[in-house]
Amino acid sequence: MKRSHIIALVLIAVAMAAFIATLTDSSTFVDIAEAKARPGKEFKVKGYLDKTAPVEYEPLVNANLTTFTLVDDQGEKCRVRLAKAKPYDFERSESIVLTGKVNGSGEFEAHDMLMKCPSKYNEMQQMSEAGS
Amino acid sequence: MEAAIEYIGEHTWAGVLGHTLTIASLVSAALATIAYFLGAERKDGAWTRLGRLGFRVHTVAVLGIVTVLFVMLFNHWFEFDYVWKHSNLQMPLKYIASCFWEGQEGSFLLWTFWHVVLGNILIARAKDWEPQVMAVVALVQVFLAFMLLGIYVGDLKLGSSPFLLIRELPENLGLPWTAMPGYLSAIPQFADGRGLNPLLQNYWMVIHPPTLFLGFAATLVPFAYAIAGLWRGERTAWMAPALPWAFFGVMILGTGILMGGAWAYEALSFGGFWAWDPVENASLVPWITLVASGHLMLVNKRKETSLFTALALTLVTFILVLYSTFLTRSGVLGDTSVHSFTGDGMLPALVRFLLIFTGIAAAMLHPDRRQRWFYTIASLALLAIGIALSVEVEAILLFGALTAIHLVQAYRAGYASSSPEEALWSREFWLFIASLVLLLSAAQITFSTSIPVTNLMLAPFKGAFAWLGDRTGLEFFTKLSQDGLAPPSDAIRHYNQWQVPFAIVTSLLVAFTQYLRWKDTDLRRFLKQLALSLVLSAAVAGMAVAALDYSAREAQLAFMLFTTAFAAVANFTYIPAVLKGNLRAAGPSVAHAGFALVLLGALVSTSRQDEVSSNARHMDLRLLGDQFSNSSDILLYRGDTVRMGEHYVHYRAKRQEGVNLLYEMDYFAVEPRRYTAGDTVRIGGTLFRARADHDAGPEFLTQQPEYWQPLEDYAKRDLWYARDWSPTRPGARLFGLAPFIQLNPRFGNVAEPSTRHWLTRDLYTHVRYADMAMDPDTALDGSITPDDAWMPNRRYDKQVGDTIVTPTSFLVIDSVYVVRDSATKAMLGERFTVHAAALRIRDLYNPDRQFEARPLVIYADGQPVMGRAAEVPALRIKYSLASVDGRKIGLDVAEAEFVVMQAIVFPGINILWVGCVLLALGTGMAVWQRIKRP
Repeated sequence: MKRSHIIALVLIAVAMAAFIATLTDSSTFVDIAEAKARPGKEFKVKGYLDKTAPVEYEPLVNANLTTFTLVDDQGEKCRVRLAKAKPYDFERSESIVLTGKVNGSGEFEAHDMLMKCPSKYNEMQQMSEAGS
Repeated sequence: MEAAIEYIGEHTWAGVLGHTLTIASLVSAALATIAYFLGAERKDGAWTRLGRLGFRVHTVAVLGIVTVLFVMLFNHWFEFDYVWKHSNLQMPLKYIASCFWEGQEGSFLLWTFWHVVLGNILIARAKDWEPQVMAVVALVQVFLAFMLLGIYVGDLKLGSSPFLLIRELPENLGLPWTAMPGYLSAIPQFADGRGLNPLLQNYWMVIHPPTLFLGFAATLVPFAYAIAGLWRGERTAWMAPALPWAFFGVMILGTGILMGGAWAYEALSFGGFWAWDPVENASLVPWITLVASGHLMLVNKRKETSLFTALALTLVTFILVLYSTFLTRSGVLGDTSVHSFTGDGMLPALVRFLLIFTGIAAAMLHPDRRQRWFYTIASLALLAIGIALSVEVEAILLFGALTAIHLVQAYRAGYASSSPEEALWSREFWLFIASLVLLLSAAQITFSTSIPVTNLMLAPFKGAFAWLGDRTGLEFFTKLSQDGLAPPSDAIRHYNQWQVPFAIVTSLLVAFTQYLRWKDTDLRRFLKQLALSLVLSAAVAGMAVAALDYSAREAQLAFMLFTTAFAAVANFTYIPAVLKGNLRAAGPSVAHAGFALVLLGALVSTSRQDEVSSNARHMDLRLLGDQFSNSSDILLYRGDTVRMGEHYVHYRAKRQEGVNLLYEMDYFAVEPRRYTAGDTVRIGGTLFRARADHDAGPEFLTQQPEYWQPLEDYAKRDLWYARDWSPTRPGARLFGLAPFIQLNPRFGNVAEPSTRHWLTRDLYTHVRYADMAMDPDTALDGSITPDDAWMPNRRYDKQVGDTIVTPTSFLVIDSVYVVRDSATKAMLGERFTVHAAALRIRDLYNPDRQFEARPLVIYADGQPVMGRAAEVPALRIKYSLASVDGRKIGLDVAEAEFVVMQAIVFPGINILWVGCVLLALGTGMAVWQRIKRP
């Protein structure tokens, strides 16, 4: 075969392999109900912090465990055990994305968390109120 | 009709001027484009000169915009949204530049500015390439000017202007305060801006964005030259002038990217310099393709070889810069990146910007003019249909398919040559292979990073996927039919999985390709020249692998250690061996060696990074539960000295400096502990006494028979207060570190690291959790005592007989009584009543340890005025009585202050920084050489 054809084939093979590996490596966004339905399977769950439920972080007991309640877009709630120290301004977060799985007791054990804090500042609302 | 309102204190002229200049920059760029286009097509000098004039006008307009924005920031005109959002009164003046480009609009303006600078240099240097090259540059400027316009065309928002007044913002229109003439002074929020995020108030924010954006801007030049070459039908002649620009881009963009890594390492607390975050990836990918295109240009300068690939890579580099802009600014990344910003409605404009230039590049690749027009018209038709019928995603997919077909046709029509292939052992062939490897690496990164975009693209087919999912039962399809894919759970592992093999192949190629000759190589001579490097690097790698203890499972990493060492050594020896010490030609070798060291440094410091805080030995039993295996952080009480890695660390104090709360830590050397006869130590639940003076060894049990006498008879108290056996003790103080928390009520508190640098490793520490109260404690009588090393109180409202469980103690409230002894009464007088609570406390983890505490509170006229806390030093707890009401008490419990800290050792990280310097230096040398000797 012509050398350039061999090269082209190798190229395509590697590209396909990377493509497939990425797709199988990719995780899925699910809601709490589905994560609970498949305990032990790793998912990403999106939601926000339930401010009415307690956020527990006792560094004296375990410096790497934060427990809180997540509410997802469907309104489902779930108790979460995050294997990290409580981030600063956790209570101010607007939305969170957790990576982990549901354990035997129906709690979500997360090993990673992405947090979004408010990007719109609230001062603007105050300004409008101030002027009225 | 209302009368026009005269607002007091506004500088509306600035906004109007800025906006006018933006329009002027747009119009002049458009005129320049048309004039240059005509000058190129008609080979007419007059049109070209007109185009040049247009671009000069555009230059003045852009400089004007920049000046106006600076003036607004400098004068703190907070009526403007951009000034308000990104600056404030307290900000030191040196950061005004950072404010300029902190926001979306400012960074677009920075990019536009760099294009203007490069454009003017091109006018001076491009000679007869000027019309075509500048037509492309001016066209890009038209699009960038649109991005700064901030106007509405129907429903579509075109760009975002930095010159909007806050009262003109869509969300504020019609609000009552916007009709107040004196609103600026009346409403307090306008007195000061929100300010630059304190996290960005450092020198990195001053140097990193300009460097990065200059790098992005530089990718436009080879792109413009490539288009120019295709336009003129001179498919390789454009490479000679474009080559120095390409490597200039490699140098600047590479430096910019590495600065980002250095910044993350120095100031952020994720613990590293590269996180494979989408924004990082989006800037790395064009750099990779630029490197590949530059090297293929080198090949084509001698003879037309792999021309299609060379052209495609050059063109795609700029397209990827546009794509990276789209990814990071449109909000499409959504929930997948810490960097994703709100879209601000930029998504449609950015997509079209990207697609139009993709279309232009693809069109020009076809040698046949008619085919170009056919493709262009078909693409425009798709765009129009997509917008008109709101089927844009489908239209884009069709455009993609059309482009792919067009490119295949272009290749076959113009580039598939039947000329003899290059020799296997020629530099041309292996540079071509190298470009392909780089392309694959870039493609893999792009694909994984673009998962959210892929989801968008596949959205129209959700129905089809659901059907496929049902028919085949494959979960893969069901996934796609619902929310789509999420990025890999473990991003770092995922990217490393692919990029490590790519890095191995790339470094091997970097090692030997320079030793190959053009056209063909005498293999014996080639191997002879490489033999020394090969042996030397194998030896170095072997020693490193042994020293760093790589296991069999990490064979791939060990191999990468060898290949990167080989690349560095081979390139260094190239200078004496082949260049015969000619330093002027040594630029590429230095750059390659630098690149190899960057990879090597990244490999060693990342694969052998050691979280020493998780190995900290606390003799405290409670931390040895099964939670301990998951912990990566240590808890340090204030005043504690704990062994961590190769040091003893002591948390001394907390100190506030401006907005930063510093946690001062002292680090001591580790010395063997010396015991003298008669010393008593505790091991587990038993006490031992030393029989003779000796140095503690690593294991108690081996030493015990000889040196330690177990005690039979001792009081429980002795057991509690005895010290644990330890093989080491703190020695001399070596250094101090102060990781800090930047307090920021507006943007959120941020922890920043403090790192100790040695030659062969770094110790990186940051605080994960801490008491951030620096407020002095105010006693009930109003006297202030300074922060007294206790965590914030927990309040318990209980009654006599209740029990309270705190994290470390279990207590019973035995009784509450009034202190009536005569001494107290005499001292205080009749007005005051002293209440005390009798508390019985037990150590939660060692129930045999029991204590008593009697905190007091003094009441006068029915109000508590002063108190005295009771401390239990052994448990590090303080109990304060806040209130007494009959049998009910308010009890405050506070633990001694502690911090939770993470510490990581990064070995060999200086190799990385040395590599960065060499990479920049070597590329700079090479660019200089090319300019001097074209």
